[in-house]
Amino acid sequence: MKQTIICIALIVGGFAAVFGLSNYLEANKPPLPDNYVDGDLAFQGKKMRGFVFGAEGLLADLYWMQALQYIGTKALNSKTKVDIENLKPLNPRLLYPYLDNATDLDPKFTAVYFYGSIVLPAVDSEQAIKFTEKGIRDNPENWLLYQHLGYIYWKLGDYQKAAEVYEQGTKISGAAPFLKLMAGKMRSDGGSRDTSRLLYRQMYEEAKDEALKNNALRWLLKLDADDEMDAIRHALENFKKQNNRCVNSLTEILPQLRSVKLPNNNQFRLDKSNNLLDTTNAPYLLDKENCDVKIDYDRSQLPKVLTK
Amino acid sequence: MNQENSVRISISNTIRSIALNTFREAVRDRVLYNLVVFVLLITACAIFLGDLTAGQEPRVIVNLGLSAMLIFGAFISIFVGVSLVSKEIEKRTVFAIFAKPIGRGEFIVGKYLGLCLTLLINVLVMGIGVSLALWYVEGGALVGSIWGTIVLIFLQLTILTAVAILFSSFSSPALSALLAFFVFVIGNFSASLKDLATHLGSSGAKIFFGIIYYLLPNLAHFSFITNAANNETPPAAMLGGAFLYAVVYNIILISLTVLIFSRRNFK
Repeated sequence: MKQTIICIALIVGGFAAVFGLSNYLEANKPPLPDNYVDGDLAFQGKKMRGFVFGAEGLLADLYWMQALQYIGTKALNSKTKVDIENLKPLNPRLLYPYLDNATDLDPKFTAVYFYGSIVLPAVDSEQAIKFTEKGIRDNPENWLLYQHLGYIYWKLGDYQKAAEVYEQGTKISGAAPFLKLMAGKMRSDGGSRDTSRLLYRQMYEEAKDEALKNNALRWLLKLDADDEMDAIRHALENFKKQNNRCVNSLTEILPQLRSVKLPNNNQFRLDKSNNLLDTTNAPYLLDKENCDVKIDYDRSQLPKVLTK
Repeated sequence: MNQENSVRISISNTIRSIALNTFREAVRDRVLYNLVVFVLLITACAIFLGDLTAGQEPRVIVNLGLSAMLIFGAFISIFVGVSLVSKEIEKRTVFAIFAKPIGRGEFIVGKYLGLCLTLLINVLVMGIGVSLALWYVEGGALVGSIWGTIVLIFLQLTILTAVAILFSSFSSPALSALLAFFVFVIGNFSASLKDLATHLGSSGAKIFFGIIYYLLPNLAHFSFITNAANNETPPAAMLGGAFLYAVVYNIILISLTVLIFSRRNFK
């Protein structure tokens, strides 16, 4: 009995010591240099095909999860606020190889292509185009990939190319009528807010991944905020013309804004102190010097890059 | 004629008894305990993978579940397969068995079918586990596509079992396990062997690798896990062809084993 108690005490005590020591060692380990952590991938998916006992899909899943973890960790460790439209400051140079490996191992893993076509443009547009074109080669029957490629060209402002891609997509059986609509829209007014809204609404409805859905939603909110800011700017201009000075606070133009009809029946939001709020409920900033309105990016959830 | 029929019935009864005893022995040896590990693995995946896969849990469960099914099954085929015959020889129970009216061929076939039955139960339970996990993560649409692949995995395991029994009929358990593992590896890389045979310059090498390609079982014929994860089902021609291939190959291997084992001296 005594021996059993001593043994149990040693085991429990030992594990307690191991727990403490592990944390101590982790805290005192010097960090690895960035280029070591971001070391090139040891294996190439293409070369592993046929040598993994039929588990290519499982390895593709591992690379997919690694890609998500990789970009997520980079974003979490970033000392500055992460701008989803420009991930270059994070230097996520392994994102493309991870996604490329995953799709080399399982070319039908379309979720990876969709993710890459939305995230890679924020890292390297050429890689994004190359990757999505590879997706189309591997899955020529999937019209959604054409939609994503069109989106990349639209982001780059190449509306002609975007229209061509959307048109190619319409030729695939079962393609959504949306592609035809976008092909025409790209040709007529590719850079308009209306086109942007159509694109992001479609992306929002189709996205299965929460992060991608949220991204589309933030852009839709940003477009609504752009409409609001247009109305606010107009009211500021009128006020300045009438009073020969800029407002001291945005509350001064509230009476004018009440008569404004925003697109999609949207309404202006106010907090308890009558501050004008953006579409993510962060107060708008007044740039008194230029008599302009701005988004408070420190508090707002809206994406930073401005669209037309 | 009647005598011939009664002999046939007696042979089939003997094989059935040996097979059922082999199955009971495997259960007694806790071979099916691997199912516990498998169920834990799949349950953990179903619960925890959500955040890691960004909405791709069903395909990860299929890939992980079916790959684990193959690996667990391969380990059982190899390690239990090589010990089936050697254990009886080491324990000297083989003398008691052959003192009865049991032929060496019946003994081998019975042992083989017994282990196949164990693997079948193993694969079936694992398949149900993967299906339940898929329903849990709302990937019910994939359930239909995995069962064809599970059949292919089972057929692959029957070949591996036959290979393990063949090696164990003339070699030590350790060496048999190693050789069976090599066949598992080479069998899965068969396509590369064929490529190698085509691209090699010398005709001697071409013939050598060509012979190896056709001599060793081509286990790549049974590989469909990645497709299953993309909601594809093996076409009927593939399933039928793979079934015939497995049957023919198993007949060859078991016949060879019976041939070697019949000539073996246990002293």
